[in-house]
Amino acid sequence: MSSDPSHILRASRTERFAVAAACLGLITTATGFGVSPRFYPDDPLLVDDDRALDAGGVRPIEGSNGYDFAEHTFFKPGDRRNVQAMNVNTIDEVPNSSWFTNRIGAHSMTLDEIVRGPNQLASLDIDGWPIVQEKSSGITPGYRVRSPEGRLYQIKFDPPEHPEMGSAAEVIGAAIYHALGYNVVQGYITTIDPAAIVVDPKATTVDLAGRRRPMRRSDVDRILSRAARQADGRYRVLASRFADGRPVGYFKYYGTRPDDPNDIHPHEHRRELRANRVFAAWINHDDSRGINSLDMLEGEKGRHAIKHYMFDFGSTLGSGSTVAQVPRAGNEYILEWSPALKTLFSLGFYVRPWIKAEYWEEAKAVGRFEAERFDPVGWRPEYPNPAFDNMRADDAFWGARLVAGFSDEAVRAIVAKARYSEPGAAEHVAKTLIARRDKVVRAWLTGVNPIVSPTLDRDGTLTLENAAYRAGVAAGPLAYALEWSSFDNATGNTVGETVSGRVTEPRAALPERLRTSPFLAVTIRTEHPGLVAWQLPVTAYFRREDEGGWKLVGLTRSVAPHDTGREAAR
Amino acid sequence: MFRVPLLIISLACLLPAHAGAQEEPDTRAEEAREAREAKSASLSPPRPGRLERALLALENGRLFERILNPAEGFYPKMGNVTTGGGFAVGPGYRRPGLFGERVDISAFAMGSMKQYWLADARVTLPRLADGRLFAEAFARASDYTQEEFFGLGPASDRSDASFYALRNTEIGASGAVRPFPWLSLGTTVSRVTPDARSADHQRSIDRFFDTSALPGFDIDTHFIRTRAFADLNYREPRLNPRTGGRYLLSVDHYNDTLDGRYAFNRYEADLQQYISFLKNRRVIALHGLVSVGDPHTGADIPFFLQRTLGGPDDLRGFRRFRFRDRHALLLQAEYRWEIFTAVDGAIFYDAGKVASSTRDLDLSDLESDYGIGFRFGTINGVFLRIEGAFGSSGGKHFIFRFGHVF
Repeated sequence: MSSDPSHILRASRTERFAVAAACLGLITTATGFGVSPRFYPDDPLLVDDDRALDAGGVRPIEGSNGYDFAEHTFFKPGDRRNVQAMNVNTIDEVPNSSWFTNRIGAHSMTLDEIVRGPNQLASLDIDGWPIVQEKSSGITPGYRVRSPEGRLYQIKFDPPEHPEMGSAAEVIGAAIYHALGYNVVQGYITTIDPAAIVVDPKATTVDLAGRRRPMRRSDVDRILSRAARQADGRYRVLASRFADGRPVGYFKYYGTRPDDPNDIHPHEHRRELRANRVFAAWINHDDSRGINSLDMLEGEKGRHAIKHYMFDFGSTLGSGSTVAQVPRAGNEYILEWSPALKTLFSLGFYVRPWIKAEYWEEAKAVGRFEAERFDPVGWRPEYPNPAFDNMRADDAFWGARLVAGFSDEAVRAIVAKARYSEPGAAEHVAKTLIARRDKVVRAWLTGVNPIVSPTLDRDGTLTLENAAYRAGVAAGPLAYALEWSSFDNATGNTVGETVSGRVTEPRAALPERLRTSPFLAVTIRTEHPGLVAWQLPVTAYFRREDEGGWKLVGLTRSVAPHDTGREAAR
Repeated sequence: MFRVPLLIISLACLLPAHAGAQEEPDTRAEEAREAREAKSASLSPPRPGRLERALLALENGRLFERILNPAEGFYPKMGNVTTGGGFAVGPGYRRPGLFGERVDISAFAMGSMKQYWLADARVTLPRLADGRLFAEAFARASDYTQEEFFGLGPASDRSDASFYALRNTEIGASGAVRPFPWLSLGTTVSRVTPDARSADHQRSIDRFFDTSALPGFDIDTHFIRTRAFADLNYREPRLNPRTGGRYLLSVDHYNDTLDGRYAFNRYEADLQQYISFLKNRRVIALHGLVSVGDPHTGADIPFFLQRTLGGPDDLRGFRRFRFRDRHALLLQAEYRWEIFTAVDGAIFYDAGKVASSTRDLDLSDLESDYGIGFRFGTINGVFLRIEGAFGSSGGKHFIFRFGHVF
């Protein structure tokens, strides 16, 4: 008899089969009294209580730009398995949490709600608010002021060569991300009279030699010398209000925070982080990386929890914060070997496609932002992002549905918030956003079977919604093939005979003999002549409620084995 | 017959199911809470790795910037004293923003393994009249111990390679006016005290040449140098150009204290043009230099102040200072292509000649070379240049150089 642990690997086929059979038999036996039901009474979970445990013990973490670039470019961290997002509920949706609040995806937001975004004030007048500190990070010139109520605001200026560019990108990006469901800080476009700038006697800055010293007016003048000045002598700024709580660093796009008990889903498998690739592509948020996030510790002693914010939208909409964005951004990683080697060995005769993109250059306030050459599937951030790399067709579909929720009117209203003063600037940004939105929606809403929100009413009528058809990116399908069956929640298997059907309208009647089943499963395949992916099954699970109605408790959406979204990211 | 390990594994399959049976959650929320409670039993603080900590310290403390090139205070000055002087280090100090942010002072001294050294101190007023006026006073002293010399004229022989030493001090002042951001007009007046002598080297110049026939060798004099220039510069980006041009016209007047025996004027046109295409991702860079030395009647130009060609910045397929004479003509062309962010490739061709007469300053009998290379840098400049130069009568040359060629 061998005591070598590797012995199992050398066991005969018969022996291995016997072991497997034993295991299977034991587990099957155990399901009757040990395995969880497929659906719990509280499914689908609409709120993930990730503030449940006290996170007061978290330590602040700092991010290194250089390390972040090197780690993601050369080491590819995170779990890269092709698995469903781990924080979705049983109906394939993202429950509300400290990361995300369903807004435009859950209900019809008014234009005012969308435009206001996270802001709680109609406007902000910061003249006379004392400067209390320099701006400690980032490339944009600025400083921090304190309001009469004691709130801290970060002030950022626009570059002289591109007045309004950075601040416009910030407020538009923040409004869009807020409507999508992310946490973002309040940000206001306002102006400053340089004569009204006051430096708090206790304000400090770090001088050129790295020493902390009291801040002087000359330091402010140096900042203003790098800022765009208006014709009236004032400076347009973005005033970002510091979020509530205590900053504890940023979140990474992989793993979980090891000191936060509430953080249990690996970030590369969180749907809202995977699908951020869709949103980032839409507004060309090429700087969407962990460093540009913010974790704030909120709550009272013993009931602390982290709230996760998206932060810094200065590098969106063709803005590069202090310069117009480089044409590579969004098209290629900073370091991407294949096109680089082709260019090297061809002595430059190989021309990357994005080099030929034409940009509208009629307004200084608009950076390099275009839609014609924009390819949502091939879009790239500055360097690889594990969550973006893990995005599957179902994640992208979820994201594209949210993007489709922004009407033309909503986009124009958001852009108006930026208060562009140059003729044509607002129109160009709005038109480009709308055109890019259409490309995003067309690319990602059609990659899976686009059935959403199935309902089964009390009289047994199943109603389906086709998200792609509704968004206008695909012609109506020919038919829906349905397979009805009863479902055993204890085992997670369908039971009894399957009843098949085919309808040409998005409605169908529940087979009579299944009306008494406590759980139902209906698998739907959409038949469309040009879209093969619509044949992929969507299975909806309904539970019969006490009062006789049916509640959707589960939805599974299949994805193709070869996922073009994942392949494009690699 | 089952063996013991297989039986153990079979039994182990059963254990989780029974263990779980006693703690099955009743709700999804309970399931999530249990997962969180399980994690709370094994919390640990985030522990960045060694590399991450190191990079973080560098970034937060701006250590590279503060230690190697701080905007203020002492720092280690590193670089080249002069072409061919070898890598040099030494202390540096700078203090900007004195006297109401108007005055900057700086000083450094550095020496190399080849025993070259250079000391430099200057007081600068760079921001007068809202940046449109510039004034500076400076003093510098240097000792170059092994300057290469191959003889005068275009027909000098590579096998005559020899060395001389050049010590120099210069004290002066400069002023410039910038009526437009792209135009500078300025002048410099300085007192220059050179001393060219034999090198402490087995190939010292006196072993190969009759130094008494070399103008300016081992003379005891000083020069008053006056320079006027017009600099039209609309290159973009300024420090790593891809478009635009720079046209620098200058006149230098050297007047010595030995009855004008070495007095001369030098007229130079240094022209650069950058033609970009494919959205600045490809650049044709052109450089032309014409330098005419005009000695006063009966005077000659000291050999160490004559124009030279050869080396990593002009005729790259030749050794440093390979050709030397009163006049010089240099033509350079490069095709540069962006490989990826911060790295460009370049194919180049250099041609040029020196001449003792302006009549010979034509396009015949040009020395030439070609090559290929890489440039590492950003819009703020090229910090490293690696090139191979071939095709010249001077052999193959590998160039590893900090800074751009033009």
